Amino acid sequence: MSNRILLGCVRAAGGHAALLAVAALLGAAAGLVIPWAIGRTVDAVLLGGPGPWIVVTAALVLVAAGADVLAEFAAVTGTARATAHLRRALLTRIFTLPHPIGRPAGDLVARIGGQAADAGSAVGAIVGGLVSVLPPLGSLVALALIDPWLAASLVTGLVLLTVLLRGFVVRASVSAQGYQRVQGMIAGLLAEAMAGARTIAAAGTAETEIRRVLRPLPELGAHGRGTWAALAVAAGRTAALAPLTQIAVVAVAGVLLTHGRLSPGELVAALQYAALGAGLGAILGTLHRLVRARSGAGRAAEIIGARPRAHGTRVLPPGGRGTLRLDDVTVRAEDGHVLLDRLTLTVPGGATVAVVGRSGAGKSTLAAVAGRLRDPDQGTVRLDGVPLAALDPEALARAVGYGFERPALAGATIGDAIAMGRDHAFVPGAARIATIDAYITRLPRGYATPLADAPMSGGEAQRIGLARALHGDRLLVLDDASSSVDSVTEARIASALLHETHGRTRLVVTHRRATAAGADLVAWLDGGRLRALAPHGRLWADAAYRAVFAPDGGA
Amino acid sequence: MGAATRYTRAELWRDRWAVARLAGWSLAEITPGLISGYATARAIDDGFLAGDARTGLGWLGAYAVAAGVGAVGARGAYRRLGDVVEPFRDRLVARVVTDAVRGAAHPDRAATARLTRQVEVVRDTYAGLLTTVRGFVFSLVAAIAGLVVLAPVLAALVVVPLMLGLGSFALLLPALARRQLGAVRADEDLAATAEPMLRAHRDVVAAGAGDWAARTVAAAAEAQRRAERSVGVAGALRGICLAAGGWGPLLVLLVAAPWLVDRGIGAGALLGAMVYVRGGLLPALHLLMHGLAGGGLRYGITLRRILSVSPVVLPSLDPPDHGLLRMRDVSFRYGPAAAPVLDRFDLDVSAGDHLVIVGASGIGKSTLAALMSGLLTPQTGTVRCAGRVLLPQEAHVFTGTVLENLRYLAPAAPVLRAVVLLGAWPLVNRLGGLGATIDPATLSAGEKQLIALVRAYLAPEPLAILDEATCHLDPALEARVERAFSARPGALIVIAHRLSSAARGREVLLFDGARPVRGTHAGLRAASPSYRDLVGAWSDPALLLRDVDGLDAVARVRLRDDPGEVVADRAR
Repeated sequence: MSNRILLGCVRAAGGHAALLAVAALLGAAAGLVIPWAIGRTVDAVLLGGPGPWIVVTAALVLVAAGADVLAEFAAVTGTARATAHLRRALLTRIFTLPHPIGRPAGDLVARIGGQAADAGSAVGAIVGGLVSVLPPLGSLVALALIDPWLAASLVTGLVLLTVLLRGFVVRASVSAQGYQRVQGMIAGLLAEAMAGARTIAAAGTAETEIRRVLRPLPELGAHGRGTWAALAVAAGRTAALAPLTQIAVVAVAGVLLTHGRLSPGELVAALQYAALGAGLGAILGTLHRLVRARSGAGRAAEIIGARPRAHGTRVLPPGGRGTLRLDDVTVRAEDGHVLLDRLTLTVPGGATVAVVGRSGAGKSTLAAVAGRLRDPDQGTVRLDGVPLAALDPEALARAVGYGFERPALAGATIGDAIAMGRDHAFVPGAARIATIDAYITRLPRGYATPLADAPMSGGEAQRIGLARALHGDRLLVLDDASSSVDSVTEARIASALLHETHGRTRLVVTHRRATAAGADLVAWLDGGRLRALAPHGRLWADAAYRAVFAPDGGA
Repeated sequence: MGAATRYTRAELWRDRWAVARLAGWSLAEITPGLISGYATARAIDDGFLAGDARTGLGWLGAYAVAAGVGAVGARGAYRRLGDVVEPFRDRLVARVVTDAVRGAAHPDRAATARLTRQVEVVRDTYAGLLTTVRGFVFSLVAAIAGLVVLAPVLAALVVVPLMLGLGSFALLLPALARRQLGAVRADEDLAATAEPMLRAHRDVVAAGAGDWAARTVAAAAEAQRRAERSVGVAGALRGICLAAGGWGPLLVLLVAAPWLVDRGIGAGALLGAMVYVRGGLLPALHLLMHGLAGGGLRYGITLRRILSVSPVVLPSLDPPDHGLLRMRDVSFRYGPAAAPVLDRFDLDVSAGDHLVIVGASGIGKSTLAALMSGLLTPQTGTVRCAGRVLLPQEAHVFTGTVLENLRYLAPAAPVLRAVVLLGAWPLVNRLGGLGATIDPATLSAGEKQLIALVRAYLAPEPLAILDEATCHLDPALEARVERAFSARPGALIVIAHRLSSAARGREVLLFDGARPVRGTHAGLRAASPSYRDLVGAWSDPALLLRDVDGLDAVARVRLRDDPGEVVADRAR
């Protein structure tokens, strides 16, 4: 799969991939011939005149330089194309996968961001990886052709270089870890201060806070110097080894020259091949790029290979009132633990049903299957007689609206975050029902205020989330969707919902007694089963039911 | 990039001795570069070509010794680089922290990102730029000096194409920087679009808005592709500059070779010149042209972003002539097009007052608290306020001992009485006593509020403003805390989270529009229908919908006149 994705990236780069391959190959070949041509030129000059060799050399240099320029252009643009292509594929797939994907958002951002770019650079990495082998290996061959001793001295130098550099990574990473730890400590202290920002600003205790946050700074500096010291050791080794390798080759070439086994021009060529050959170490770098491209593709493959949610093609019968029916529904968690146990429940069309129960009773799972945020492992969920899984995705999206305890809002503006790609016409009305319109009109640019510029409390975010859910024209599933709203506002919302979303079925997960009391029916869940479906007033006599609403205790 | 350049220059000057030491070690580092061509030339001309292998090897030995010196120099230079970079980074961290904390009136959630990511980018690119520029300058000087020693004419021949390449690169640099800036912005836009959308995966799927979500983010990815492409074009032009500056001198040397040989320049000298060009100039140019545009840009952009954070300095509020708080004709709105939160609002608070602010959430109660305490400045009108302590909903508890946390606003205060009075003793006890260290992450929101409340109670300031500062406490504890604050010398302003708070206040400020109304609980209930609504809804929201399980609403409202009674939520 990841190989298919890499191939797809190469294909998406299109003509750029071919251009890159040709240019890179041409550049490498020209680069390999140039030292030889320069050597011939020097020999010719020493014998009396450069003749045609100077022209050959100049032509080769032009070819090499031109090829480099083209290759760089093709690599950058090809990578950009392939990356954009892969990102589109990833995004399309991610948003057709059922929730939860089982990966944190940060992880997905990384897959779409840096890792997609890594995979997108496959073109450059593959071509670059293949071509980068040419100069060092070619040089080695060229040196061996000039004289085997030259090749032997180069190889000896390089082996030493590789062995000596290995020790570096370990030492540098020790200091780097200490550095990151202290940096994290300072960041943590700063985050604390930012969480208490209003207190600090109002009390004028900024200077005390600054001293407190910066207390570990000297330790950070000490670790930082440690990384430089480790780097210094490595730099010293590299600085010595690269020239020493070349000196070894030149010394051998010089001795051969005195014995007449080499011409001055061949010495010139050997010198340059020695420099090119030292690039053998850089092959490790291109290998590393290739490994990264492959791992980026692998990360993409995990997403693209995942199975998207299946949909049917049926639509809802016109005039249905949003009757929700769960038959024998069982849902299990990843670890096999039963969340909902053969639950059967009918919610009459147009009714408000409160879902209550202790935490872990299965309330949110019920909410998730009720509007097909999640498919049950067994059993069926029907809306107006049609199984949700058989519904056309657009019909489902039109019929069902979800409100969450912690809504995640996305979109460029507040208006976009509510509309989510739908016509904005319903937005102001929905905001009014969710009693968030007063908040929005007090924002600098109203509904056009960028989401990032609209600071909101948990309760305000919930009400935006609620407004967003109101597009659902048959079923509203509100999963603790106004728990952070104060009780006055919640009462207003409840009343607005009652009067203005009339005719829609409402399934409301709640911890609040008042909400349960206001519903037509209460679905009381206990251990994944339906313990009772009855009006609140009737259930209240039961002490176990009353215990459901006991607070878990404050401070 | 003016601010970043100025800042960098000042920083370099500040660390000038460390920079000088770095330059000293760099001189040692460049020894092999200086000697390479000359030693090769002598080794060939005087040694190998003259049939004297020993002299040749001797010169190469000298070069090897120089390589050793260079290695020692490189090692020293990297250590000194740390001496330049780490203090620079120390000051940058201090600056980020200082700006973030001083500007805390407008809390900056990006501050920790700046601290961990942006400072690191600046640190790495600063070191990278120092290395690049240092490497280029010293390699250039060494190569030219070496060529001059070999034969001045060689230096003259090399300099012309070199300057051509460097000059055209200098011309290209602004365009290159602009395009890379565009690519960086496009990258950030992509991340800024993708991250919230991916976080909202559940919500997107629930809303059936997958197409929209994928399209929205893919548009940002497409913009990023276009930006990258334009960088690619500029990169190709840079390649031409590099070819002119790096390969040009070599071609010139070859073309001039016959003429040079005629003038008595040996094969070795010619070879030495090539060593300087290919071993010294070409890599140095490559480093400069690839490092300067990319690294310099990242450095400039990121540093400028850090420097552009200027903390909002809060004007200090003058105390009123009499009383503790005086607001006159105060109007406030968040933007020119926004509805006003307050419109020509007046308020006086004197010692002994206990004012409770009520109103629907989102209407601007916290804005009013911020205006009272000087965190926000009204567009018109005046606010005068004596010493006050503001307690917001999100309590500030920091890593430190319990005592340090409690004495935050009153360094020498005796704390025990307040701890007991506010009912915080069980918490302090559980934490391990006053000397125990608190890890804020392990405290519940209510526990944090309780610690902040004791702290505010101890503060010497006469006016206490509690902005939903008790919302995570249970009602019994909330009542206890509010009664304690009410008895504290000075005045108390409470932004209410529950009705019980309003009932405990001496007066109520009803926030139901841009001009709040003040009165007593009973008076407002009689005079204001919207207050009656609120009271009705608050005492039992279910009443709005239908009759419930009987009991509480009426009983609770009746309890309000009895200050000794704990107003408990019946459901407990």
